Amino acid sequence: MYIGIDVGGTFTDGVVLYEGRVIRWAKSPTKTDRIRESIEEVLGQLLPEQEGGKVSRIVISTTLITNLLVTNQIETAALVLIPGPGLNMLDFRLTEKEWILQGGIDFRGREIEAVDPSEIKEVGGQIYEQGIRKAAVVGKFCQRNPDQEIMVKSLLQKDYPDLEILMGHEVSGELNFPRRAVTTYYTLTTRQEWRKFAKEIAVVLQALNISVPVVVMKADGGTMSLAASLDAPCQTIFSGPAASTLGAFALTMDDKTSVVADIGGTTTDLALILEGKPLHASKGARIGDKFTHVKALAVRSVALGGDSTVRIKEGKISIGPDRQDKAACFGGSGPTPTDAFNVIGGGGIGNIGASRTTLASLCGGELSQVEKLAQSIVDHFIDRLEENVQSMMAAWEQEPAYKVWEIVNRRKVTIDRVIGIGAASPAIIPLLALRMGCEGFVNTYSTVGNALGAVVARPTLELHLHADTGQGVYCINGHRRKLEMPESFRISDAKQLAEEELEARAVTHGLTDYFKDREFYLEEQFNVIRGWSTTSRIFDLGISISPGVVKGYKGVKV
Amino acid sequence: MKPTGIVFFPAFDWGISPTHPEREERLLYTRDQLFEEGIMDLPQIVEYQPRMANDRDIARTHFCIPGVADQATDAHRISCGGALTIADAVMNAQIKNGFALVRPPGHHAMRVAHGNRGFCNINNEAIMVDYLRYHYGLKKIAIVDTDVHHGDGTQDIFWHDPDVLFISFHQDGRTLYPGSGFVQEIGGPLAQCSTINIPLPPGTGDQGILYVLDNLVLPILQDFKPDLIVNSAGQDNHYTDPLANMQFTAQGYAELNRRLAPDIAVLEGGYSVETALPYINMGIIMAMAGISYSNLYEPDYKGHRFEKQKAGSSIKMTVERLQNLWQIREALIDDTRKRQKEFYQQQKSIYYDTDGINEQQLETVRMCPDCMGYHTIDSHASLHSGDENHVFCISIPLKACLRCQGDAWNLYEDRKAKDDVYQALYMQDKVQDRFLRYSVRDGQEISFE
Repeated sequence: MYIGIDVGGTFTDGVVLYEGRVIRWAKSPTKTDRIRESIEEVLGQLLPEQEGGKVSRIVISTTLITNLLVTNQIETAALVLIPGPGLNMLDFRLTEKEWILQGGIDFRGREIEAVDPSEIKEVGGQIYEQGIRKAAVVGKFCQRNPDQEIMVKSLLQKDYPDLEILMGHEVSGELNFPRRAVTTYYTLTTRQEWRKFAKEIAVVLQALNISVPVVVMKADGGTMSLAASLDAPCQTIFSGPAASTLGAFALTMDDKTSVVADIGGTTTDLALILEGKPLHASKGARIGDKFTHVKALAVRSVALGGDSTVRIKEGKISIGPDRQDKAACFGGSGPTPTDAFNVIGGGGIGNIGASRTTLASLCGGELSQVEKLAQSIVDHFIDRLEENVQSMMAAWEQEPAYKVWEIVNRRKVTIDRVIGIGAASPAIIPLLALRMGCEGFVNTYSTVGNALGAVVARPTLELHLHADTGQGVYCINGHRRKLEMPESFRISDAKQLAEEELEARAVTHGLTDYFKDREFYLEEQFNVIRGWSTTSRIFDLGISISPGVVKGYKGVKV
Repeated sequence: MKPTGIVFFPAFDWGISPTHPEREERLLYTRDQLFEEGIMDLPQIVEYQPRMANDRDIARTHFCIPGVADQATDAHRISCGGALTIADAVMNAQIKNGFALVRPPGHHAMRVAHGNRGFCNINNEAIMVDYLRYHYGLKKIAIVDTDVHHGDGTQDIFWHDPDVLFISFHQDGRTLYPGSGFVQEIGGPLAQCSTINIPLPPGTGDQGILYVLDNLVLPILQDFKPDLIVNSAGQDNHYTDPLANMQFTAQGYAELNRRLAPDIAVLEGGYSVETALPYINMGIIMAMAGISYSNLYEPDYKGHRFEKQKAGSSIKMTVERLQNLWQIREALIDDTRKRQKEFYQQQKSIYYDTDGINEQQLETVRMCPDCMGYHTIDSHASLHSGDENHVFCISIPLKACLRCQGDAWNLYEDRKAKDDVYQALYMQDKVQDRFLRYSVRDGQEISFE
């Protein structure tokens, strides 16, 4: 018995999957300040009898960290940067409490400027004086040489042992210093709250006699253990849309190219599944105007939902971005797009009379005009969704590429299908599909597709290896080690190192079932030529276990 | 404010040979620096994917021998297409300016292309300039070539064209490849002073180059009033470049681009892959995007090393000589026109260093009173393999008069009818945008599309 729970902005959804069948589902309004209670309530509905012992997997997707970040309810911390030459970080403040230190590392991990112990001492004093007890220390190219970060940490902690410090190279090994700084800072300022949540969940589950370890949903469309998430809470942001996308895949289970439209109350999240693979955002998750190193699916949020308020201003229809009430056909005051779709579709969603009445109020009580108005609202809604789908596809096609091979063999795809997720999708998706000239897919489980996605999502794991034989070192996700025999180190050795490391991590995290599905998504080798001969080699490798469904899952029976 | 557009195409899977300066590794550290800085994430920057230049784009500028596909590989088409992508984005007003950070480079590629010279097969800027004029109707374009080597290919392509101002400053040709670019090279008889060459003594640094910019380049641009300025942005004036001997810094490059304010920059040479390119490329992007470069410097940069190098007297003399020539340019052209017969001819000998080709050209230009006249080139190349290529090329300029258009087509048809000495005839009609190759041997005619 598998349980999936998706704590969304408005509702918390849950499903129980048993022998390939969704045997129960539940929905309850989310209490944003008390997410634990929302989960408890849905679990109560999903497991009415004492069945906790039968649960063999439980996956939670939650907006907890997303909410903390977007509402800026994070803890106070200092951001201490070692930028070296380049952009002037004084012009690009990332946070309110920020200090810039001397020092610098270059792209090959060589020190180009030393840090200044007296400056560090002084900065430590200023941080401490302001009552700050946490500091994120991040250097440019520290993922290729963490020495300066480690030095700054040890000097700061010598004077202030109670200062909690997180370093950039512990968080990410990818290129992009501002994203690494932001991600390190967000990790440091949310992890206490996340650990508290983890403890609460443990208590809730214990009470229900659920003994299997909890798994949480990540932004990349995969899962990780709750234990692993304690050090990486930011990986859980935007996991809702990721769960929906996985849910859409879980409902179809083929290698077609689909648009996933998760139509909620006030927003529609659009995602792409290209030939059976969920598409990742090229730049990582974005919070406000800042990019992070959190790998996320490419999701576009459009302020357009089933419950968005419909207005007519100077003869023009506007939809959203706000929501005033639920659709009139479901007992709200309306008018909403759902009401318009209800009228056009000839009913079938709640009370069609109520839909007509509320639409009539928009055209001066003229019942004869209702059909026409409903059609205009529907057209407007579909137009905007289609525009967004098209521009998303165009953005994907325009993504930069850096090799001749990639440009020459650029993929061209056409959309085969639109998959609907969310309560309003059965009314909306057929019309969107008609407009786009492709297949529309909605079924019984579309309304709980997000929770279904969470329950079947398999774990993902990713590892980046950078080796520089000239420097005699290699770095895995920012952790540097010595190369045994740099002179004879070749790409096959680099690949072997990456695979061994991935396997070790798969074992630690209990993911050995999926190790066979690993693939190299990045394989680069450069000869370093000085004078006219090869003096050393540089390798960049990326290996991952990418999103998919858990072992044994073959699709749901409708 | 609109963003600055970037096409970054490092061609990580293309090199002339594994140890050649133009190799896979060339933009690796630039990639690392740009990506680590996160400059592409800034709202001031938008990154584009390059498209591929097609045969027509290339044939509009070059006579590729024997055909376009023989000179332009996929890598060349993408590099050139990167410049075209930026050109489109500038013209469609999506961006305020743009930088095609692409390789392979192009500024040594001449109008007739038998092979690779100076690491170049096809000329990215020149193709872009012809593209902009044909598709967007731009009248006057200025190219400022800031590569340390004389941009002899670009000079050759626009030599007779009064509407394209080509200004190149470079290390003195007596001390560096390709050994040309002297003050007296000022353009064809009807386009005098639309080519300006500023040879600089080895060791010239920021002060010297900025002196040339302020006292010569910028005033000339002000007089010329171009619709668009292109920076042919080589980076080998840098003090660490292994193939040249100048003293320019990353700060200097940034400052140059701030003052020049090009609409489009296209990367050319620059082979100090670790110690110069990552910093210069950052500097050019920052300057074009209006981002402060106050914190940009090379790891070994020591300001005092460069402070004392004021512009020397030889630079000042060169600048003065060219200032004087520029002032009398109209009189020079009028005078020449009076003295010339109906056709002007010149012989040229061109050496392709990379591919070891010797080419002999006889160029003929009609001294037309109504337009810049149609051109023909009789080109005879001796290849490294011992093979010979002998071809005849006819070019009708974009603003050719009807008489020149008619006469050029008649000449092409006449030659086709004759049993000729040539292997192939080429017709480049920029007015109709038609580009043909006629094979004398088998009588086949193909059109480059």
